[in-house]
Amino acid sequence: MMGLELANLFNLLNYWAKSSYLCRMYLQSIRLTQFKNYGQRKFDFNARFNVVTGHNGVGKTNLLDAIYVLCMTKSFFGGTDRNIIRKETDFARLAGIFRMEGGMKQMDVVAKVIKQKKKTFEVNGKVYDRLLEHVGRLPVVMIAPDDTLIATGGSEERRKFADNTLSQKNPAYLSALVRYNRLLKQRNALLKSKSGWLDMNLLQSYNDQLLEPAEYIFSARKAWTDALTPLFNEYYSLISGAREEVSIAYKSPLSQDAFSVLLDKSLEKDKILERTTVGIHRDDFVFFMEEMPLKRFASQGQRKSFVIALKLAQYQFLAQASPELPILLMDDIFDKLDRERVANLVEVIGESGFGQVFITDTHPTRVSELLDIPHQVIDID
Amino acid sequence: MANKSKLFDDAVASLTSLPGIGKRSATRLVLHFLSRPQEEAIDFVQTIENLVKNIKYCKKCHSIADDEICPVCASAKRDQSFLCIVESVRDVMAIEETGQFRGVYHVLGGIISPIEGIGPEDLNIETLKSRLQEDGIKEVLMAISPTIEGETTIYYLSQIIAPLGISVSTISRGVSFGGELEYTDEVTLGRSILARLPYNIDKE
Ligand SMILES: [Zn+2]
Repeated sequence: MMGLELANLFNLLNYWAKSSYLCRMYLQSIRLTQFKNYGQRKFDFNARFNVVTGHNGVGKTNLLDAIYVLCMTKSFFGGTDRNIIRKETDFARLAGIFRMEGGMKQMDVVAKVIKQKKKTFEVNGKVYDRLLEHVGRLPVVMIAPDDTLIATGGSEERRKFADNTLSQKNPAYLSALVRYNRLLKQRNALLKSKSGWLDMNLLQSYNDQLLEPAEYIFSARKAWTDALTPLFNEYYSLISGAREEVSIAYKSPLSQDAFSVLLDKSLEKDKILERTTVGIHRDDFVFFMEEMPLKRFASQGQRKSFVIALKLAQYQFLAQASPELPILLMDDIFDKLDRERVANLVEVIGESGFGQVFITDTHPTRVSELLDIPHQVIDID
Repeated sequence: MANKSKLFDDAVASLTSLPGIGKRSATRLVLHFLSRPQEEAIDFVQTIENLVKNIKYCKKCHSIADDEICPVCASAKRDQSFLCIVESVRDVMAIEETGQFRGVYHVLGGIISPIEGIGPEDLNIETLKSRLQEDGIKEVLMAISPTIEGETTIYYLSQIIAPLGISVSTISRGVSFGGELEYTDEVTLGRSILARLPYNIDKE
């Protein structure tokens, strides 16, 4: 068994090696057909830094979302696939050419979304049987204005954030999650369907099958929380210039008892409420600043730096886990950040630990003036 | 757009109610019937009528049969102590095509899925229980799709079967079953029946 410190050192070395060799994946170009507000449009990108400018409503966010779709197979903003098809048309097509240093030199990713048909994804002409096989091959992190919901919203927002990260890190996590959710849905339907008599053998079948994915997700989330905290602290102080200690605590019913025991204990409650009241679908993550829960007191500006630091920590977590540096998408993040923090942030992402970055800004020159590395300005207007 | 003949339109409409038949194919089929001698169409209709009026479901295995008991269940050449549990009649046909299975079948008529309102009581499980106890079954092979619903059904059934001291096996993963089974090629399916895997419920 490798000691914890040794393991950390190993990660650090691994990360240094990666950033110095510039083992980097990047999106070379994208071709959009009837995606959201776009008709036909092709963009070529810089391998390192791209600043997307233009007036509000021209499609800056949509361009970032298109990149996100090619990496994650679905829109960052949720909703049905139909919403990504341009109004009054029947299909959308997205094609991206990704270049990488190692392994496969080029990945041509094509996504087709046709009304009333299954969405398809193909890489170098080969269509995936299951879309989830694609998730994690092209790691990506999006930072968007709505991110403050991770700090202020319901526990679902935080689980989504954890799941997004861990699914990209490890395909087995996403499989376990899909399996858990499906079994849970069936178990809930069973609890709902029987007003009087409940088939205990069938309920037990669901309980037994839920254990494996639940334990897997629990330990992955726990390890993730531990790994994220130091990265998170580092970025928080880099951006805010403050020395407040920030941390994340993982709250799960599974840390109290074995899941099988918890399921047995909650049986009567589950029967009355006709749904499963215990499990990793009830997990939460609590954020602390100087040992105070963040939700309660932080200012808007603090929360904003807080979630940006969280996303950058997610980025480094994925960078350490993946052979490629993820793509970083930053949408309209300067709102509510003062000049100093904007400058700090641009400096951080200009450093060697980051790969290809896309950043949108209504201000045509703000980012360019702050950047001292070569970059490309894409004006959508 | 309507044709001059209502008779024609009605025939097209009833054919389009079939799965996989659109208006264009339906029109072609109706025109085909009209271009051929009358008896052909009448024969065709009578064959279907005969089928739906007279087809039976085997009292033992619930597969389709012309008599009370299907030829497989009635055959002395089949191993009556080796039972293969499947989801549908389609699966029986696919496995029979391989020629690799010498036992008998039990058709569940679906898989357990509370979301779709299908519980164990909606499947042929009561008759399965009595067969297991009365027919001298020694081995059960579950040829059910490896989806979550299929796995739940396998798990649920094995809770019933295991206490009876009957050995349970499943078809190796990676072979699609139930619904998809007819698209699996015969060689792969046949091989996976021979290479079946023992199934155990591991608790703790
Ligand atoms: Zn029969």
